[in-house]
Amino acid sequence: MSAATRRRWTNWALNALTYGVLIVMMAPVLWLVASSMQTSGQLANGDYDLLQPTLQAFSDMWKSIDFERYLANSIVICTGAAALATAFASSAGYALARFRFRGDRAYGLTVIGTQLIPGSLFLLPVFLGFVWLKQNTPIALLDTHLGMILVYTAFFTPLSIYFMRAFFQAIPRELEEAAMVDGCTRFGAFVRVVIPNAAPGLLATFVYAFLFAWDELMFATALTEQDAETIPIGIRNFIGNYSEEYDQLMAAGVVSTIPVIVAFFATQRWLVKGLTAGAVKG
Amino acid sequence: MSTTPTADMPVTEAGPAPARRRPRLPSRPRPARAGIAERRRARFAYWLIAPALAFMVLVHLIPTAAGTFLSFLDLNTFTFQRLFGAPWAGLDNYDSILFDASNPLHSGFTNAASNTAFYTAWTVGLTLLGGLAIALLLNRSFPGQRMVRTLMLTPWVVPSFVVAVLWQFMWQRDAGIVNKVLVDYTGVLGERPTWLLGENSMWAIIVPSIWRGIPFAMLIFLAGLQAIPRELHEAAAIDGAGPWQRFRHITLPLLRPLIAIQLLFGVIYSAYQFAIPYIMLGSNPGPSADLLMTLVMRQSFSNNLFGYGAAVSTLLMLAMLFWVLVWYRAFRRDLVEAAR
Repeated sequence: MSAATRRRWTNWALNALTYGVLIVMMAPVLWLVASSMQTSGQLANGDYDLLQPTLQAFSDMWKSIDFERYLANSIVICTGAAALATAFASSAGYALARFRFRGDRAYGLTVIGTQLIPGSLFLLPVFLGFVWLKQNTPIALLDTHLGMILVYTAFFTPLSIYFMRAFFQAIPRELEEAAMVDGCTRFGAFVRVVIPNAAPGLLATFVYAFLFAWDELMFATALTEQDAETIPIGIRNFIGNYSEEYDQLMAAGVVSTIPVIVAFFATQRWLVKGLTAGAVKG
Repeated sequence: MSTTPTADMPVTEAGPAPARRRPRLPSRPRPARAGIAERRRARFAYWLIAPALAFMVLVHLIPTAAGTFLSFLDLNTFTFQRLFGAPWAGLDNYDSILFDASNPLHSGFTNAASNTAFYTAWTVGLTLLGGLAIALLLNRSFPGQRMVRTLMLTPWVVPSFVVAVLWQFMWQRDAGIVNKVLVDYTGVLGERPTWLLGENSMWAIIVPSIWRGIPFAMLIFLAGLQAIPRELHEAAAIDGAGPWQRFRHITLPLLRPLIAIQLLFGVIYSAYQFAIPYIMLGSNPGPSADLLMTLVMRQSFSNNLFGYGAAVSTLLMLAMLFWVLVWYRAFRRDLVEAAR
């Protein structure tokens, strides 16, 4: 075999391997979708009929889980938290990217340091704080959208600050200097010149916070009871009540994944840039 | 991971990491002593960080301090009404967790701690290895490259509670697809293993965690690989270096900062894993798959042992702090490199 032939064969084998790996990685997701379109009987005895999919499990699940309520809660809470986290992170990230101030290093370290705290350590005090507010003030945070939004905002702001800092560092300083020469205030330059130039970063940060908030389970377990329960809680409750109805469970899994999949793939270009820039810059 | 310079590692100056931001400025001009303009700039910066800082103090710092305080109290079902006024227990919680062999909470803790270490080591190790391997595969040019790179990210976007539900279904002993493939279709295994109970249940949570983590690791490594100038590989190839040598002496050293940052966050994230075991195996995943987070949540919220739970959480946080120090010693050099 000549060297060229051998190289062609190696190339071909690596291509095949690449597609093989892709199939293995995608298989569980495809299995989730396929299973959601079968009846629970078919799931139990394994004779899938992929040519005759049914959407029965979706409509059953919608009723038995009362999925609409959880879905609406998740959308409201995650959108609110992601928007607030992005706003706070962009102003704090801008401060870290452009300004020196007493305590800037300590602040940057504390922000990262929050990621070291196990949720279980501050969950109970947050819960107690919410209970106290409920009993002693008109501020309703326990089992409300607002309470969950505030908690999730705090959770996902720290890493967002570092994403935004990386994006701001890539914007030339001359841009806001020119705006200030033209009579903008410092804040005006930030809002009117820097922010629009960092739009891809804002979008990436928003989607990052949304994705992670969508996935949060531990605090939702303790801080919601009825009105503000999110999708993970709905799924957990469903497992507790109808553990054998796998068709509905798979359907619920598909529906809970669709919003994040859509958000992710729609913004993939910027998100990937934000995630990798954040990681590379550390 | 040694800190001694070797031939294949870019040598940088030793000593403390230099100021990372804006290296052009002299190292520490104290803003307070600087001019009015500088002070005004600093004041503006404080306004910018104020909202994020307020949230951090209210949701992270104060409650964490309160949680640490609770770990010194004898807070259980009987004293729960008194909360912060519960009897002071000093280090009793820590003592019984760490040293009291007769206390069932001690064995529960040591078991969950070693499970967590096992889970974290395997999950992070295999996630990084798998992510790197796939990144190398996808860094070649091949038909459908863009599509494959995008689709490969899908598992990472699936929420972890869905991952847990899905794999719990796939791990079923009789109807599950895993046993169907391993036993019925390929005959790799002679008889059907039980995945969700007993010894195997640890792997039942590790495998989905790796599956979900690999795409993210791949994404980071792929970005790193694409940033390596092609000329480096070409020059080395002309000098007669084979693919393995080029990987070992060019690719790997240049990826070190990315390996470092992923190790740091991967270990923390895995050590705090809760959703996958909790949704897949329930609030008590059993002795083989009980992680520290499931243990703490169960003892705190099901058994009302809040003082105990807070003490375990505090210990875990200290362990993570120790990990960060170890990590920092090992990778300090790479951080300096990456910040350039």
